Amino acid sequence: MTEPSHRYVVPTGAAPLVQLKGIAKYFPGVIANQDVDLEVMPGEIHALLGENGAGKSTLMNILTGIYQPDAGEIIIDGYACQFASPVQAIAAGIGMVHQHFKLVNAFTVAENIHLGWSETPRRASAPALEERTAALAQKFNLQVKPSARITELSTGEQQRVEILRVLARKARVLILDEPTAVLTPAEARELFKALRDFVSTGNAVIFISHKLDEVLEISDRITILRGGRKAGTELAADCTPAKLARLMVGRDIVLADMRARPPGAAAVSSSPVLRLRDVSVLNDNGHTALHGISLDVRAGEILGIAGVAGNGQRELSQVLTGTRPAATGVIEIDGHAIAHANAADFVRRGIGHIPEDRLHSGLAPGLSITANAVMREYAKPPVTIAGIFRPRAAKALARQIASVADVAIPDFAMPIRNLSGGNQQRLVARREMRIASKILVAAYPSRGLDVGAINTMLRYIVDLRNAGAGIVLISEELEELLNLSDRIAVLYEGRIMGVLDNDRVDIDEIGLMMGGRLRGEKGAAHG
Amino acid sequence: MADFRLQRLPSTTPAAALGARILAIALALVIAGVILAFVGKNPLALGLQVVTSSLGSSFGLEDLGLLVIPLILTGLSVTVAQQIGAWNIGAEGQFYAGAFAASAVGLFAPLSGGWSLVGMGVAGAFGGLVWILIPALARAYANVNELITTLLLNFVAILLVYYVSTDAWRERGGVANSATPRIKAEIPEFWGLVHWGLPIAVLLALAMAGLLAFTRWGYEVRLIGSNPAAGKYLGIAARRHLITVMLISGAIAGLAGMLEIAGTVHRLQGGISNNYGYLGIMVAVLARGSSIGVIFAAALMAFILNSGIILQTQGLTTSTVLAITGLILFLTAIGDELSHYRVVRDKS
Ligand SMILES: Nc1ncnc2c1ncn2[C@@H]1O[C@H](COP(=O)(O)OP(=O)(O)OP(=O)(O)O)[C@@H](O)[C@H]1O
Ligand SMILES: [Mg+2]
Repeated sequence: MTEPSHRYVVPTGAAPLVQLKGIAKYFPGVIANQDVDLEVMPGEIHALLGENGAGKSTLMNILTGIYQPDAGEIIIDGYACQFASPVQAIAAGIGMVHQHFKLVNAFTVAENIHLGWSETPRRASAPALEERTAALAQKFNLQVKPSARITELSTGEQQRVEILRVLARKARVLILDEPTAVLTPAEARELFKALRDFVSTGNAVIFISHKLDEVLEISDRITILRGGRKAGTELAADCTPAKLARLMVGRDIVLADMRARPPGAAAVSSSPVLRLRDVSVLNDNGHTALHGISLDVRAGEILGIAGVAGNGQRELSQVLTGTRPAATGVIEIDGHAIAHANAADFVRRGIGHIPEDRLHSGLAPGLSITANAVMREYAKPPVTIAGIFRPRAAKALARQIASVADVAIPDFAMPIRNLSGGNQQRLVARREMRIASKILVAAYPSRGLDVGAINTMLRYIVDLRNAGAGIVLISEELEELLNLSDRIAVLYEGRIMGVLDNDRVDIDEIGLMMGGRLRGEKGAAHG
Repeated sequence: MADFRLQRLPSTTPAAALGARILAIALALVIAGVILAFVGKNPLALGLQVVTSSLGSSFGLEDLGLLVIPLILTGLSVTVAQQIGAWNIGAEGQFYAGAFAASAVGLFAPLSGGWSLVGMGVAGAFGGLVWILIPALARAYANVNELITTLLLNFVAILLVYYVSTDAWRERGGVANSATPRIKAEIPEFWGLVHWGLPIAVLLALAMAGLLAFTRWGYEVRLIGSNPAAGKYLGIAARRHLITVMLISGAIAGLAGMLEIAGTVHRLQGGISNNYGYLGIMVAVLARGSSIGVIFAAALMAFILNSGIILQTQGLTTSTVLAITGLILFLTAIGDELSHYRVVRDKS
């Protein structure tokens, strides 16, 4: 781990770059922000922490002109400002990279950088735009391929394009909403380096994250929101993860050890309930994403899938849940080969799926919370009886799911996209656990959740296993995998490098396997 | 000092939306009145004239009743397609196709009385359905944008009807030589000139609203329409739903053509649609995706069109009337958007 290249000292006499005073924002039935003060100095990386729904995204949407505050002041460089739109905010030097990127997929990197920018030359050929982009990339030390289309890029590369887009517009304050949730550890390190370079010239970064270690590593000061109000601002040097967690939730969080199997828990079945045999899978571009994979999932066990994101995890979770067909090979449920994979069929057999891209594939963002909550059970009683859909029964079910998921919802008819990112994830997770009587495939289930919610979520996963379901847990957090899994399989470039029993795991060995070495192989890494 | 600002809300209350619309229409009328006063007309007298002749007499009301029938159906056609994320710009063509097919049965099928009407109804719906079949399949299987395909087929249908009504099926020795002979089967009237097509259209809109809100099928359609990827995630037969919904959309527009023939005009002729297909798009936009809203939006549209006709008889040019119509629609759309805003007051 690299040491921070600078230590933050509040410069005497310098005006804050950004100052928020007494900000309030109300939505029907919700206080998203109230009396929030925030001060960001030049040269500072300032982290924003808080539980799901604490109002972090809302506060930043106010600072960037997406929402208007109901009360309070925005002061930039000592002058009060009002931003009616993000365009005005960026003109004042404030730019934001959202959790869900806003790039145009069919365009090239250069076109995306120049889209809607007053400095874009009026008549510009593609090579000219690409040259300008290359120069910008050079200037900000962010490597991008100017001629590549967005669809060809990894998530980390897309994020770099988003950041370059903001920096090119001369931003002095860069806001990042949960930027590392979708990055590999290597990509995150690169991002941190770029952020440190950026602030070293007197700019500032506001950084939202749920990963406490990372927050402590990268930030100078930390502001904590709780229930829409500010719970305090601390120097990172004075904090520990436990202290931050306490400030966020208002009480101590006890991280449970989840590995112990309570008496009465279901035993691991001898034969697999779900089985892949030599399964190959194509990705959306028609390339092979999984190469002849064989995997057994037994009832009553948690099978962890370790590996750097982008090595076939998405396709693996899809083929395990019937949302993507196998190109070759056999999928067996309870020993019966499935001829035509169909997601509805898998659901009927008790297989649930928490997808990695929950907003775009697991939800209909524009429909009501009720419609989204009943997505798995709408076809059967009590929601549908004899083909008749009963809105009242649907709402009752939605209410039930929301209360177990511990999400407070003021209005079930509101589009689900209005919920905070973490609360959407909680609802999806509960919805899937309800139907996962046989198998739950959970891709990055704790992504976007606050520390307390991660704890609860993992607890539920263990309970589900104890009740006799088989769990496939796809995660990048090795600690989480080691804490929960009975066995761990390592995925690398669409192949299983090996399956390890958790009680005989060597962390170094897993690390090597994640880099491409086969299990038990000695010597140089596998190419 | 207090400072006032506008703030946009993500959603709006029904009361605010209604208020904004009423305000928008009132404002449009005031502007129109000012313009009329400038060109030397008395806007109050004209306004009174419009209101008394369209709402004050049973004649006017009957005209409105006749106008509203095709508008409900074409508006419903567009709205239904919208539910699954398709833009049916071809209600115009499907209307003609339905009118054509219904006329064929009315003119040539050896059916009598009620049976002839039933045959025409089936043929009309089927004609509209056939007319959207290719766009529906092209979208479902080859992802061809339905905006263009449905639009292009409009011209084909319009020309087809011109051809048969001025040539093949023309009434020999008729007065104008540009229409078919009168079709004998007629939909009975229940109030003045207004025929049973009106309750049929209203019931159809209510039935579609019910289907979408209270059936499993409707839930699936709304879900796919909102996010196709979610349909895949759930394993819903998205393609089949898309095709079904588009065919229903076409059939509804086709039925509008049949009702126009069998209830109002009684012979097939060029221009029979009066642009009802395109006006249906505006009705759908005003109705904002609500099948029940279509009934009210169609009524508003009918009133505007009818007022236009009355104003023309009062010596206003067609373009003035069109401009006023456009103004009302334009301001209504702005009003819809503005109903999302509220004024907030900063205390400083
Ligand atoms: N457009 C909106 N309409 C109604 N309520 C909203 C809207 N946007 C946010 N909210 C509500 O405001 C609260 C704060 O949401 P916000 O997205 O700011 O939380 P967050 O701190 O970013 O949480 P997370 O960590 O889960 O992303 C939530 O209760 C959310 O449901
Ligand atoms: Mg958020």
